[in-house]
Formats: sequence, structure tokens, C-alpha cells
Amino acid sequence: MKKDINSNRYIFLYATVLIVIVAVLLTVTALWLQPFQDRNQKNEKRINILKAAGIQDVNAKNAAWLFEKHCTAEFLLDENGNPTEDDGLPVFVIDRQTSVIPMQGNGLWGPIWGYIAIAADGKTIVGVTFDHKSETPGLGGEITTEKFQGQFAGKQIMDNGSTIPIEFDAITGATKTSNGVKEMIDNTLEKYSAYLKKIAEKGE
Amino acid sequence: MPNVKKLIIEPLRKTNPVTVLVLGICSCLAVTAQLKPALVMGASVTVVTAFSNLIISLLRKGIPSRIRIIVQLVVVATLVILIDQFLKAFAYNVSKQLSVYVGLIITNCIIMGRLEAFALSHGSWESFLDGLGNGLGYSLILVIVAFFRELFGSGTLLGYPIIPSSFYEAGYQNNGLMILPPMALIVVGIIIWIQRTRNPEMQENNQK
Repeated sequence: MKKDINSNRYIFLYATVLIVIVAVLLTVTALWLQPFQDRNQKNEKRINILKAAGIQDVNAKNAAWLFEKHCTAEFLLDENGNPTEDDGLPVFVIDRQTSVIPMQGNGLWGPIWGYIAIAADGKTIVGVTFDHKSETPGLGGEITTEKFQGQFAGKQIMDNGSTIPIEFDAITGATKTSNGVKEMIDNTLEKYSAYLKKIAEKGE
Repeated sequence: MPNVKKLIIEPLRKTNPVTVLVLGICSCLAVTAQLKPALVMGASVTVVTAFSNLIISLLRKGIPSRIRIIVQLVVVATLVILIDQFLKAFAYNVSKQLSVYVGLIITNCIIMGRLEAFALSHGSWESFLDGLGNGLGYSLILVIVAFFRELFGSGTLLGYPIIPSSFYEAGYQNNGLMILPPMALIVVGIIIWIQRTRNPEMQENNQK
């Protein structure tokens, strides 16, 4: 019997077999590589937290060890700034004094995120790190550069017990991304204001 | 085998996918601000073109012509997803830099172009070499462009400082335009210009 490779029957069969093979292949690979990818993401998070807190020379190799050494506490907060067991706002304490807070926001094309480190006085920024998924390289993508992130260190975020809006030099040509960064910082600090007030009182 | 040599060498020069066929320009603009992502992108595209050419060529007698584009897309997409997963697992920083552009390999015209124009009508060994050659031709242009952009835009190569700090003290400054995408287009344009000047037979005769 001659095989007709343009019959509907053959086309359906061909497509089905192809899809099944591809699906199995991709599933197996994804499951096999998952642990490696998770580890990379975890390291990335540690590196960003440590960098925000001003710890130098962190890389993928020593991140786990340095994080273990410097991160003295890690807890969740409720609305009033007290530690809680369940769902809450995460805080990482580095070297018993700096509080590192995760941030999430929106850039121009997709999500942006980062960490902000606050000194023990509860009102001075120690450092920040930002990252993004799909901002334009050279414009919005510049938020990941040290040049942009460096300007945040030393800025004040509290005045008379309430958070004040952050001010910084935006990136030329990336107004939307810069606004996104501002909104992200302002929103995050507002959510954490109860906690920041608390550490400020303790610090004084 | 002269055939092997022809299939690998020709796409580097006279049938270069970027400068002669003008395919794959989009990713050429995006990943050439630095040398390292350009090298990885070039290697990834080379692997994808070579193996998708090989696979399609092996399947070519069984692929129903009515769904051949879909079959090609499935094969290319699978290879790209595999590469993306491997990069995420073993070269995380590079995968972050390339981010969306790895996914965009799927739509790189060079790959579909070679599948349609070559792999569907040639043997598997020849097709593999053709894919390899075209991938290398693409990488070559990527690396040349990235070399100039990183050197003059950031003063480094592969992240290592090249331009001595005494230059900066004397008032030298990195050219910020080099980092931005338009400069990639200009560099590619200059490469095409040089290539055409050196090979007069490539120039169209507009006098007639």
C-alpha cells in the first residue's frame, strides 16, 4: 500500500506523534533542570539582599556562605510592624542593624523589583538594588547599573515619624521606568512605615 | 571534500546571512552592546540552526507539505526552549542578560529561511553544515559589532578594561551612543559598505 503523505489521516497522525514526542522531551528536561534553576534564583536573591546592605564582592559562589554569615534574622511583619507567623511583609536583618526590604513594582514593559536597605536609625537608606524583566537595554535597563543605584545611599526616608516621598535623578529617556521606581519605593515604604517607626524609636 | 568547505566558508563571506541576506538584524541590534552576550547569542543561534536543519532534513521525506511550516516551528521552538532552560540552569547571568532575546531566536529569519531554502531539499549532513555555516556567519557579524560597541562604548572587552585609565584622566570619554541600538545599525552598515567595496561583483548595477 502506498503511503499518501498528504492525506488528512496521515497529517493528523504525524502532528499528534510529533507533539507527544516534543511534550515528553520538554517535560523531562524541565523537571531535570528545575533544581539548578531554583538554586540560581535563590542565589540571585541573596546577592541582591547583601548588595543592598552594602556588602562588597558578593558573587554566585560565595553568596550562600555570606548570606548565612551576615543575615542575622529573617521574619514576617503584620500591619502594625510586629513579627507574625503567617502571611506578612518579609524583612531580612543584616548584621543585626540593617533591615533589607523587598520591593515590587511596574516598569514600562514589565515588572521591576528590588531591595532597599534601611539603617538602624529607621530613616537612612544604606543602599538599593533593582532588577527588571524586560526594560529597554540602555534606557530603562539602566536601573540595574551602580551609577543609578549609587545615588540612593544616604537619602532620608522619614521625617517627624512619617515616610516622605523619595527624590532622585531619573534616567533620561526612561521616564516611565523612573516613575515606576519612585512609585515602587514610595508604596513599599508606606507599607513598612509602622515597622520603620519602631526601629527608629529603638535606635534613638 | 570541497563541498564541506563551501558550505561552511561561503556563509561567512559571500552569502553572509546578516550583511548580504540582511536577516536577523533585530537581535543583532539588541545583544551587541557587550561582547559576552553576543558570543553566547551567536553560539545559541548556531546550535539551533545546525540542529533544526539536521532534524528537518532527516524528516523531510515524511513531512506533509501542507503543515511543513508548523512542523518547522515546533522543531525550532523546542530547541530554543531547551537552550533557554540550559542557560537558566548553568549560565544564569548570561540568560538574564539575553532575557527575552533567547525566546526571539524562534523568530530569527535566518533559521526559517535556511529550513525552507536548504534543509527541505538537501541531505542531512549537507544541511547540518549549512546550518553551522550560516550560524557562524551570523556570529561573526555579531562579534565584530559587539567588539566595536563594547570597546568604544564602555572601554572594556568581555568586561575587562582595555582603555588605560590615563586616557580618561587626559579627558577621554566613552561614547554613550555606542551603547544605544542605533549604533549597531550604523556599524552593520559600515561592514556591508566595506564588504561591497571589496567585492565589486556584489554591487547591483543601477546604471541600466
